Amino acid sequence: MAFNGLKKAVTLTPSVRTLPSGVPAAPLLNLAARAPADPHAHGHGASGPRSDVTPKWVGGVSRTSSGLVSKSFVTLPSTTPFTARFIHTSVAVKSAPDVPDFSHYRANDTDSNRALSYFMVGSLGLVTASVAKSTVTEFLKTMSASADVLALAKVEVDLASIPEGKNVVIKWRGKPVFIRHRTQAEIDEAREFKWQSLRDPESDEQRVKKPEWLIMLGVCTHLGCVPIGESGDYGGWFCPCHGSHYDISGRARKGPAPLNLEIPEYDFNDAEGKVIIG
Amino acid sequence: MLSRQALRKAASPLLRQKSIPLAVRNASTSSSSTAFQSFLNSRLTLASVSLLTAGSVAWYTHLYGSLPFLAEVHASHASDEGLHPPKYPWPQDGLLDTFDHASIRRGYQVYREVCAACHSLDRIAWRNLVGVSHTVDEIKAMAEEIEYTDGPNDEGEMFQRPGKLADYMPAPYPNEEAARAGNAGALPPDLSLIVKARHGGADYIFSLLTGYVDPPAGVEIRDGMNYNPFFPGGAIGMARVLFDGLVEYEDGTPATTSQMAKDVVTFLHWAAEPEHDERKKSGLKAVILLSAMTVISLYVKRFKWTPIKNRKIFYDPPVDKTH
Amino acid sequence: MAFSTTLYNTFFRRNSVFVSTIFVGAFTFGIGFDTAVTSFYDKWNKGKQWKDIRHKYVEAAEE
Repeated sequence: MAFNGLKKAVTLTPSVRTLPSGVPAAPLLNLAARAPADPHAHGHGASGPRSDVTPKWVGGVSRTSSGLVSKSFVTLPSTTPFTARFIHTSVAVKSAPDVPDFSHYRANDTDSNRALSYFMVGSLGLVTASVAKSTVTEFLKTMSASADVLALAKVEVDLASIPEGKNVVIKWRGKPVFIRHRTQAEIDEAREFKWQSLRDPESDEQRVKKPEWLIMLGVCTHLGCVPIGESGDYGGWFCPCHGSHYDISGRARKGPAPLNLEIPEYDFNDAEGKVIIG
Repeated sequence: MLSRQALRKAASPLLRQKSIPLAVRNASTSSSSTAFQSFLNSRLTLASVSLLTAGSVAWYTHLYGSLPFLAEVHASHASDEGLHPPKYPWPQDGLLDTFDHASIRRGYQVYREVCAACHSLDRIAWRNLVGVSHTVDEIKAMAEEIEYTDGPNDEGEMFQRPGKLADYMPAPYPNEEAARAGNAGALPPDLSLIVKARHGGADYIFSLLTGYVDPPAGVEIRDGMNYNPFFPGGAIGMARVLFDGLVEYEDGTPATTSQMAKDVVTFLHWAAEPEHDERKKSGLKAVILLSAMTVISLYVKRFKWTPIKNRKIFYDPPVDKTH
Repeated sequence: MAFSTTLYNTFFRRNSVFVSTIFVGAFTFGIGFDTAVTSFYDKWNKGKQWKDIRHKYVEAAEE
């Protein structure tokens, strides 16, 4: 019993066998099928087994190297269904396919199910976008100036110690900063000048926050030398490197300098009489 | 399906045949089988005894840190590594706990009045204390009390100026040689990262500061050295510095030795990890967000796979028309 | 009309609305989440942080 069961399981019913007539039979193979008609073949192409020539397994006359040979199969070797021919091992279909029941997985309420699915997909997008945003911001933060640099970025200067008509040079972020306490005559001179015709036209009002205090970076806009104060043709600054002249408002008046002296960011602290640069 | 059943059917008699001898009493020379013997021979006894043995060994190993019955041999004496500090309940111990900032403020006072005489704190600038333990005005006032060398000025000379927020904590000695010369050859370590740099961290430093005792009998300490069981080797150059009532706290906390030690260790812990509070907050956020993302991702994965897993594939065989 | 249907018709039906809802939601969620975590963290560490003891020293400096 057990042996038969095992044999049944391993031995498959043949899917191709020879009929007693000698014709091979493949029940699942449609031998009558023809290739689709080829419109370009003009009737020459093979469109199936030729009907005018008998198949070789039928026997008959054939031409060989030794002349014509005639064969006729009197006793056809026949195979019974039980002489198995293991051509392939696919299981013959025995019954209707046994498909599991999936109804358990089906939602009862498609509307709320759909809304929930969209909600969850949306939530994932929301949280991901939020996390990605903070990741990018944190990464960009690492590119900004660090706390110890920022702590050095501001300089406080006590204005009370600078008398009228004097220059003071301080260091700020490694560069010199000119602070000029201008006299009334100098302010008038800077304001009355017709600045529209300058190479870099700027009015004195644009360059100072308080008229008596002129605060600017002491770096020549030509090639970065440090100009000398209270000299030059216009009573302002003179760059010794290539002879640029700046007036009492720090504007380029003569020489190769293309721009006026740069104004840094600064704020007055009136309560303590200080200026905070940076 | 069918073939499997068939196989099982085919194989089962074999199994049944084999299983028969198992039921037979084996390896027993005497035929008198008492209850005690069956207890000795039972597999349950064997399993439970093995379990008990393995459990005992594991428990012993967990408790004492070494396997039982296997003596360890050390080239060094245990005291060479110092006494292991006990675990103290710091206010910042928990996963979500910040430093006690009032303690940092008191600890800074202890550092300034006691430790700063010998120990530097190179990596901490005045500005770091702002918003942690002091206000800006307090820090500015404290920084201005100290003269810093700056320069060079227009004449190319260095000059003295009062400290600013951007300046770092002043060091007690100009260089390492001066520090060694002032402390009988022992270099007082920089305290900026001391909590991170010592095994045992805050617990170790607290134990060290409060652990000075007389050397036990048989231990000789050279002149100028002090005995501290928590210090590796036992002999430490630093003498006990914290005594009750050494400093006077502005908030009225009684300045006992352990209170001062706790405060200064909290301060040093902050100095080693100034990002500590913010780090724990970010960690909390990250854990919440990432676990939410994990859960939702699992749901969405199931959602996307549902149509694939529910797919039914039918084989519809062609009808054989010829035979 | 059920809540889920309303939700679907309001936010999910059009992809443009869906995606912009996600981005606006991410922005507000970021702010709300920050506020919520901070308030929890401050409550958990009540009395330990600088902002809890700051008033003592600011008043002392002003007086």
